[in-house]
Amino acid sequence: MRLLIHDLYAENFQKLFSNSFEDTMIISDDGTIHNCIGCFGCWVKTPGACVIRDKYGDMGEYLSKCTEVIIISKCCYGGFSPFVKNVLDRGISYIHPYFVIRNKEMHHKRRYENHFDFKVWFYGENISEREKQTAQKLIKANSINLDCKSSSVKFIKNISEMEGMAL
Amino acid sequence: MKIAFINGSPKFKESASGYILEELKALLGKGSNMISEYCFNKPKLSIEDIEQLKECNILVFAFPLYVDGIPSHLLRCIVQLEEFFKGLSRSDIMVYSLVNSGFYEAHQNELALEMMENWCIKSGLKWGQGLAIGGGGMLLSLKNVSVGHGPRKNFDKGLSELAGNILKCTSENNIFINPSFPRILYKLAAEMGWRYSVKANGLRRKDLFTKK
Repeated sequence: MRLLIHDLYAENFQKLFSNSFEDTMIISDDGTIHNCIGCFGCWVKTPGACVIRDKYGDMGEYLSKCTEVIIISKCCYGGFSPFVKNVLDRGISYIHPYFVIRNKEMHHKRRYENHFDFKVWFYGENISEREKQTAQKLIKANSINLDCKSSSVKFIKNISEMEGMAL
Repeated sequence: MKIAFINGSPKFKESASGYILEELKALLGKGSNMISEYCFNKPKLSIEDIEQLKECNILVFAFPLYVDGIPSHLLRCIVQLEEFFKGLSRSDIMVYSLVNSGFYEAHQNELALEMMENWCIKSGLKWGQGLAIGGGGMLLSLKNVSVGHGPRKNFDKGLSELAGNILKCTSENNIFINPSFPRILYKLAAEMGWRYSVKANGLRRKDLFTKK
């Protein structure tokens, strides 16, 4: 399965990608997402699932069933937009609370066996060079922490550049 | 000087960010500084909060590292603040940020500090300094340890350096502090803590490994 997380308005998304996505779960912003409350309940109370049971409470499980994760996000200060970051914050049950040493640094142990390809598209009219550098380092860091198979990051000024593109 | 302490933890009590700000307050409190405290554990800031922040000389953010970056609720708030500040041209307002994470290595907080600095540039504010704190999982247990000693030695040294720069209102390179405690012991203590927590919730140790 592929997972596509994006922060585009529904009408823009439909216009850009009118073709249907096969075997792809699409996570979009319907305005109902709750933020992570830092309780670690997804590790010690209901392991593997967020204790907040809104539509985004099973992000960890969705990530575990993926071979590819695609993100389309506005670039905010070299990171994701608030909605996309919210989805990722709510997905930490994908990893295990225990630590392992990877690349001589402390990271979280894996809960699941799958390794996905991580593909990120950042859009924005005014992304500075500095922000691009931060974003590239961020995707690399995410890829190490989530123990991804591979990662890539691309920048576009306007989402219209993605029209008709095969993701 | 008017200083705003902004706690970016989503927790209402017992947060490491709150503890760090308490310790910083003790170092800044003497003299003519007026410190006002805010909790950004909400999705949107009130106009009143924003109006008060614009009157400050210094903004001090403290928050936990979430997935290598800024927690989403805090990110929403600073996006809102950017819209407000960039129209004001307030390059006299200094921003300092303190980020803590559960990882032992403080440098894993570096990107969150970079994002805060990028936010300053976009908002027209002046970046002061960042303090990256590793081993955030043990911070609350340092409360009863004497200042400057044992496992809190590096923490106090870093915080004191940052406090000095805030008081002088200067911009300096970011500070990175690992715990004054062996990494292997920190790792073992953390794992023991998770086993304790899962059992306290009526589950078994093996439930920590549940797969959906």
